[in-house]
Amino acid sequence: MPMLNSQPVRSSLQVAPLAIQKTRGNGSSVADSPDPYSQSQITPPATPNGSQEDLYTQAQEHLQMETDMANEPPVFHNFLRAFYPFQPENVVTDSTVTLPLNEGDVVLVHSIHTNGWADGTLLINGARGWLPTNYCEAYDPEEMRSLLKALLNFWDMMRATCGNDSEMFGNQEFMKGIIAGVRYLLERTHCLTRESPLVQQHDGLRRNRKSLLSELSCLVKTAKRLHDAQRLTNVGEVNEVVDEMILRAFRIVTKGVRFLDVLEDERRPLVPTIAATTAAEDNHVPPTPPAESSSFVAGYGPAADAASRAEDDGETAERAQYAASDVARSLTPAENRLSSVYTQNTNARRLSQAGPLQVHRPSSTLSHRLSIAGSSHLAHSQNLVSEKLNACHDTFLSHLGSFIGRLHLQSQSRPSLARAVKQSATSGGQLLVVVDVVCTHNSALIDVLEQSRAAMYDRIQELVHTARDILANPRSDMEEDVIIPQDNGRLLGAATGCVKATGECVAKTKWVIEKIGDFEFESDNGSLGVNFDLSALALVREEKDSRYCPSESASIAGSTVSETPTASTAISVTSSTAVPHVALSIDKPLPDVPQVTSPITEHPVSHPLPSGSRPQSLPMRDRASSVVQTASCSRSDLPPLPRISTASLPMDTYSPLEPSSTNGSDFRSFRSEVMTASSSGSGSTYLSRDSESSILSQTSTRATTPDSTQAPRNQPSFSDLSTAETASHAEEVDDVESRLIEKTFAHELVFNKEGQVTGGSLPALVERLTTHESTPDAMFVSTFYLTFRLFCTPTALTQALVERFDYVGESSSIAAPVRLRTYNVFKGWLESHWREETDREALDLIKEFAEVKLAAILPSAAKRLLDLAEKVSVTDGALVPRFVSSMGKSSATGTHYIPADTPLPAPAMTRSQTNALTAWKAGGSSPSILDFDPLEIARQLTIKQMSLFCSILPEELLGSKWTKLNGAGAPNVKAMSAFTTGLSNLVADTILQYDEVKKRALVIKHWIKIASQCSSLHNYDALMAITCALTDTSIKRLKMTWDTVSAKRKEMLKSLQSTVDFNQNYKALRARLHDRVPPCLPFLGMFLTDLTFVDVGNPATKTSDTGLVVINFDKHTRTAKSIGELQRFQIPYRLTEVADLQEWLSTQIDRVREKDKAGANTQASHYRKSLLLEPREMQQLRTAIEPPTPAATGSGMFAWMRSNSATSTTTQGGLSAPI
Amino acid sequence: MPSRYAYQPVREYHVVVLGAGGVGKSCLTAQFVHNEWIESYDPTIEDSYRTQVSVDGRQVVLEILDTAGTDQFVAMRDLFLKSGQGFLLVFSIASRSSFDELATLREEILRIKDDDMIPIVMVGNKADLEDQRAVDRARAFSVSRSWNAPYYESSARTRTNVDEVFIDLCRQLLRREDLLEEQARDDLGQKLDDAAAKKRRRRKRKEKCVIL
Repeated sequence: MPMLNSQPVRSSLQVAPLAIQKTRGNGSSVADSPDPYSQSQITPPATPNGSQEDLYTQAQEHLQMETDMANEPPVFHNFLRAFYPFQPENVVTDSTVTLPLNEGDVVLVHSIHTNGWADGTLLINGARGWLPTNYCEAYDPEEMRSLLKALLNFWDMMRATCGNDSEMFGNQEFMKGIIAGVRYLLERTHCLTRESPLVQQHDGLRRNRKSLLSELSCLVKTAKRLHDAQRLTNVGEVNEVVDEMILRAFRIVTKGVRFLDVLEDERRPLVPTIAATTAAEDNHVPPTPPAESSSFVAGYGPAADAASRAEDDGETAERAQYAASDVARSLTPAENRLSSVYTQNTNARRLSQAGPLQVHRPSSTLSHRLSIAGSSHLAHSQNLVSEKLNACHDTFLSHLGSFIGRLHLQSQSRPSLARAVKQSATSGGQLLVVVDVVCTHNSALIDVLEQSRAAMYDRIQELVHTARDILANPRSDMEEDVIIPQDNGRLLGAATGCVKATGECVAKTKWVIEKIGDFEFESDNGSLGVNFDLSALALVREEKDSRYCPSESASIAGSTVSETPTASTAISVTSSTAVPHVALSIDKPLPDVPQVTSPITEHPVSHPLPSGSRPQSLPMRDRASSVVQTASCSRSDLPPLPRISTASLPMDTYSPLEPSSTNGSDFRSFRSEVMTASSSGSGSTYLSRDSESSILSQTSTRATTPDSTQAPRNQPSFSDLSTAETASHAEEVDDVESRLIEKTFAHELVFNKEGQVTGGSLPALVERLTTHESTPDAMFVSTFYLTFRLFCTPTALTQALVERFDYVGESSSIAAPVRLRTYNVFKGWLESHWREETDREALDLIKEFAEVKLAAILPSAAKRLLDLAEKVSVTDGALVPRFVSSMGKSSATGTHYIPADTPLPAPAMTRSQTNALTAWKAGGSSPSILDFDPLEIARQLTIKQMSLFCSILPEELLGSKWTKLNGAGAPNVKAMSAFTTGLSNLVADTILQYDEVKKRALVIKHWIKIASQCSSLHNYDALMAITCALTDTSIKRLKMTWDTVSAKRKEMLKSLQSTVDFNQNYKALRARLHDRVPPCLPFLGMFLTDLTFVDVGNPATKTSDTGLVVINFDKHTRTAKSIGELQRFQIPYRLTEVADLQEWLSTQIDRVREKDKAGANTQASHYRKSLLLEPREMQQLRTAIEPPTPAATGSGMFAWMRSNSATSTTTQGGLSAPI
Repeated sequence: MPSRYAYQPVREYHVVVLGAGGVGKSCLTAQFVHNEWIESYDPTIEDSYRTQVSVDGRQVVLEILDTAGTDQFVAMRDLFLKSGQGFLLVFSIASRSSFDELATLREEILRIKDDDMIPIVMVGNKADLEDQRAVDRARAFSVSRSWNAPYYESSARTRTNVDEVFIDLCRQLLRREDLLEEQARDDLGQKLDDAAAKKRRRRKRKEKCVIL
């Protein structure tokens, strides 16, 4: 790549063709100045490379690096910085706004058009409009990263809330980010305090720092005003303040940028600054050198590209080829810079800033920043690919959903089935198209999508096939019009397969979109789509034998092309017309359609800029035509070097669909008087960020004339700002400075889209825990208390808290509340969450803290803390018991489910049963399980199990403790699972003890009844234990016995079993537990599995946006959630305990468990016993003859039991008995 | 097993992951099913253990049953094993006892499935802990040979051979199903053509083909 530079620069050759001339007719209608160039002679952009030729060598070095990074996936840059001034002749037309750029201006980018124009907002004044990206470079210096990120969040939040969300404003979260960002900047530059040597030495630095802080103080003040306005619920006022805040935030960033520039100057005075010589501005400070780390994807082979064009356009081929290769060879420093900003398209290399997405991006017109706020419901545009993806996914799912729902109605009519499948397949096809668009959009990440896309395609096809098979083969014995249930099963399977595969595919696609930036996508609904051959569904049953070729067809063209096996991801496009098509040729490189063009200076205003390529928003749509365009463009290139000062921007309606451009007057201002943020007219229909802009438009006065350039006052230049109004509020600056110097770790927190903390460093989490602005989130606090031992030691926590107590002292305004909170955290810990065995190590530290630091400030609190510290070491258990499940639904409220005055149900015990138990206790013979009412057995089991369940402590469930050291750390979990297993064994044992088939059947029936009662009591743990035992191989295989059990009972067992079926991740049980109010005893094992996988499936740490490795708090939140859910059920039943029966049950279970302890494998011995009772051969013979009853066994369970207790192991007892 | 799976045209298999506690089998499962595109892993949803893989160009849906966390519910194991069509026997190369336990597990599988040809893959996990190796690779390999099961050494931590073990199992399952189908077809043909000896020869030939 560096060798490309060896050729002398001929800037004229580097100009990329502009592929937008075709809408020219459109544009000229609105043009207010004549176009001096013919349509095909579009002037390329004015890139000031001439002036930068002296930087040649420098750039060369860069280039090497960039080449190395050539294969990096493309990145959408959120911020750009102009390195060359740009003055459009006509800033505003009827419909569009083109922004003038001063060198050094920083722009927040909303979207970038393929032609190189970006829709952005100038931070300097909040003006929004189009600007040429080739005048800019990516701006993302490490020091600023935190602040820039904060600004994005700020912007998105402001946009999402629209001033109505008091919750968001309440906690002032958005302010913290900005402040933390500024702090981060100052910290990284070693200028945090006024006294730092750097600040002391350099006057410029000092002034800029002050100016920055003053701006920050303004924002803080404004935020306060917002808070007040909020209370007044004056929407208008609120919106006004919001506007102002956005501007203020912009200015903070601007000043931050300037500050950094000055600093860079100080640091590297010898390095020639790039733009100094050419800067149009007088005393302008040169910008920082281009970011070095920007991604760069090498242009795709220019020759190949040109060649491909040559095929299509013989006339211009030669020329094009020449241009293309020449361009490739003649990289200039300027280009290098550009390419460092974006990945470039080949012939458009120097100009194509538009390639943030990447090289092979022939299709889209715009790439957008994906906002954290997601697609806002306020968004006007529906044509963003992310939105389209979601919409298609939703449609598809709803079709499938209703289809699946209908399948459950057993008799499905054939026509309705066909219709439903057709609907589903069609919507699925549309979804595939969206995925394909993303694929074509970005070749670098295609591999990622390919497989899941293929999987999804296969599944949909599967569904169609299944439906076709069913429709094509009506069962003769069935009513013709009805689908039989068995087929329903197949369809159901196919449909759920679709749902799953689709989910996966969509998730991946979203990930890719996030990576490459959102972009515009337009399709006529239904007019295109990956269509599945639905002809089989066309209710023509005769075509039973018609061969079905798995093909997709473009519906418009109507042609069906069979797919080759390898092209499963490629949709063959057959239509030769200009019908929009999606090409999925993933295997082959995407064509380089040089739509990536540059801003056109001196170009007639009338030229519609993005609109030109808009119809090309579909890949391949008119590949041919664009080739023609580009070819002709490259022929018509070679413009003179731009005359920058007179450069004018082409402006026009964006949308050829709306030539009237009614949006033209839709300019928005943040503050109408002072500054005008003009936004492009098409904003509401075109841009990704327009959801924001539309909010702004609602909230602000509509300025009909966005004369941002006319009023100099409204357009402060970059250099102006630094000196502006710094003196006016020196005091506030001090104020904010003190606030800024407040040590904070806010930038070390990671949030998810719902605003919950998902990660953070320990100091950051502690800061969150002791925040002064608002009451801490209950879920956060309880999660923290419950899980902190998993991510730090008690000592580390104590130290972090003490440190928090200390450093907050530097900021007097918030010190008092924060310190009180810090004390409260200690108090809560000692009172309710202390665990002596692990936390003891921190006790001395806590005492020391209380005696010294706390006592000095809050003497009474210190006394209380010391008190507690004394108590915890001697008290067993929490001083102030508190259900951790305050995090979920409170356990305390759980008791309300059953009022305490509800009369206890009377035990279902007869006198004889009671007597039998009394006799047993006195040493008499033991009653049999058959002697008791199933209801009462179920009740007593439930009481017993619930008491075990309630004793499970949350800490036992952390860190998979119950699986380690043989469950020593989780005694209650162990006891509970041992009981459940014991119950299972008891069931098998009681059945296998009888030699008579009928007796065994009787016991089986009895247990089914007990299980049924457990189910009525919502005791799913016992239900699981009993059904497991009944379906255990050793029981299940007793065919003769089961033949004796009535069909009704077997059916009952089946339905009981289905409620605790572990398939599909306990789907049935989860559904039952979901809304279940206590009392209810869930199956503990399910929670244990969940907790295990939360533990192993989520890493302990994650990396924040700023590259910091922080605690993955999300993992702990999930753990706490699961534990909270378990605790929700830790509420005893209100049932009468029958002590004797309990005792008898326990004895029985213990008896079985004894065998376990004796070392025999209970399962194996049961199996052997089972084999003896009903040997294999006999089963195969299927004789109905009962085996002879061996005399030795005696009769009934007692004899057998006694023999068991006599012989120490079951194995022997079991074996010897029947023989 | 819910009957609804029985008729599914796209192959869907239930795979059971077995092994002593602490061998990292749940890590193996989590690594395999965890969609890396989703930042946070939620194991409480229906699809948590379902995943689709492509094996030799064929799409297979795997539902993975992992007893992790419920090992103590011994009574459930039977049910788990019964539902499995293929098994991963996982041990830790750093734990001899975990290796020895596999023999018992295998016996249990054979007893419950009553099938000597049941697809099994033997996995020596924690291969990244080479310095703590307690199970000789050659020994593990020879045991796996005697069981007629492939042997892999994997590391869930470094994500080595994670997909491979599942895909190998899938391949076995697919091959087995093909074989059964062919046999069924053969049997049908045999009814027409009465010569039993011929059939046997033919079947043998086909078997070889499949393996090749």
